[in-house]
Amino acid sequence: MAELQKDPITRSDFLGFGVMGAIVGAILTIPPVAFVLSPVIKTDLLGESDVGSGWQEVGPVSEVLAEEPSHFKVEFPLQQLYGERAIQKKYPGSEKSDMKYTLSNAIWVSWKAPIKLQGRQGSSGDVVGKPERPAFLDQKSEGFTDSERKEIMSRLNVLSNSCAHLGCPVRWFTDEQLYLCPCHGGLYDINGGWVGGPPPRGMYRYTDAEVRENGKLYVRHKYDIEPGLEAQEPYVV
Amino acid sequence: MIGRIKTQTSEASQFVVDWMEHRTGIVTMLEHFLYEPVPKRGAWLYTLGSAVLFTITLQFLTGILLLFYYAPTTDDAWNSVEYIMTDAYFGQLIRGIHYWSANFLMAFIGLHMGQVFFSGGYKAPRELNWIVGVILLLLVVGLSFTGYLLRWDQDGFWASVVGMKIGSYSPFVGGYVIHFLLGGDAVGPATLSRFFALHVWLLPATIAPLIGAHLYLLRRHGVFGSEFEYTDRIAKLHERQRLEEYVRYEADEDEGEPYVGRRDRADREGYERDGE
Repeated sequence: MAELQKDPITRSDFLGFGVMGAIVGAILTIPPVAFVLSPVIKTDLLGESDVGSGWQEVGPVSEVLAEEPSHFKVEFPLQQLYGERAIQKKYPGSEKSDMKYTLSNAIWVSWKAPIKLQGRQGSSGDVVGKPERPAFLDQKSEGFTDSERKEIMSRLNVLSNSCAHLGCPVRWFTDEQLYLCPCHGGLYDINGGWVGGPPPRGMYRYTDAEVRENGKLYVRHKYDIEPGLEAQEPYVV
Repeated sequence: MIGRIKTQTSEASQFVVDWMEHRTGIVTMLEHFLYEPVPKRGAWLYTLGSAVLFTITLQFLTGILLLFYYAPTTDDAWNSVEYIMTDAYFGQLIRGIHYWSANFLMAFIGLHMGQVFFSGGYKAPRELNWIVGVILLLLVVGLSFTGYLLRWDQDGFWASVVGMKIGSYSPFVGGYVIHFLLGGDAVGPATLSRFFALHVWLLPATIAPLIGAHLYLLRRHGVFGSEFEYTDRIAKLHERQRLEEYVRYEADEDEGEPYVGRRDRADREGYERDGE
């Protein structure tokens, strides 16, 4: 072995260089990489979200008509960079507040239309009937009983306006009785089901939605994303 | 009178040029980079690469100017662009040049690539230049993509959202890449800051040395023909220049040839021997 060793480096030297190299290498690479990738670490490894997880008020359900969906604007607090709550609290005298940096979401709310014939994703949409609005909403707009609230929630579509294709904002077109995405022509029916165009699924539904005693709808920033399909997450909505 | 000033000026500038040449060799280098004989037929097609270089230089220059007024925060980004467009002197012109030369840059790159492809300019020994060129293309696409969001208007915002959602469908890495670009899991202040950092520092700093490599490789192999043909033509060019110089010195009978001139010629002859 010894005669092959042309370089007069000893084993302990080699080991020393290796250990020192690893330490110096780590000191030089880990801080900048972690600095730049901290959002990825927070989001993907620690599962944190920048969007506040609290309930936000949407609007009174009695205003949602049977014929067409209503849209409401909801502002979720956004915890990002200088929008971070801790930084804003530090300077309470300034105009900055919790609600200064928000994620503005438009939410389409409509009454479910019964599906008469189940469609198939990619070939045909559902055949739907007329949307069914609970009759008691004509009499009162607040102070619902538990059973009434349950009925409202079972009949309500609470949909994100972010297209399931590439996230553009969809709009309801009264003449066509469809939601239409302006970017690539995705079409959805009043229940948010796929009708036509490139979207791989129907519109995103808010999974955490509830009606309270004051007759208003509240939501949290959660969608019906199937497990294992993170790539379809509506990141931007 | 005017003739004497002319002579003095030309002598002074010649002195500066010679001084620089002997200390840096920059004149020979520039000669090698700038003088290239090209065939008359289809000569305009050889300007496409220069057009790309020109537009990207405009991007750098106008981009630096725009940075004097642009503010990369969600509160102020759009307003600062509005200020550039309405109040800053020549703001519309500077931003207009940045915007339009970005558009033309993409068009020129397409034409330039087409010209190289159809003339077979990517073949040996120029493969590496094609590869560097493709990397440059991707970097320019990245610059276009990140620049679009910085306006923070509806147009740029939704175009970026769509672009990022397209990227999010990439297998395995899609989600991570998008969270990296977004700076979290929603479009917000972090997204704008990141796109700003990428657009004004990371991508330009990457693209500049690669442009240098692209030009170096171009001059190493020449735009057209074999290397032999190229050096042959350069040698003929130098021969012609030497004759012209000789005639000039013959006409100037009063003084002998200055030392710098002799050195200069010796340098060039030495270079020529090396070149062949």
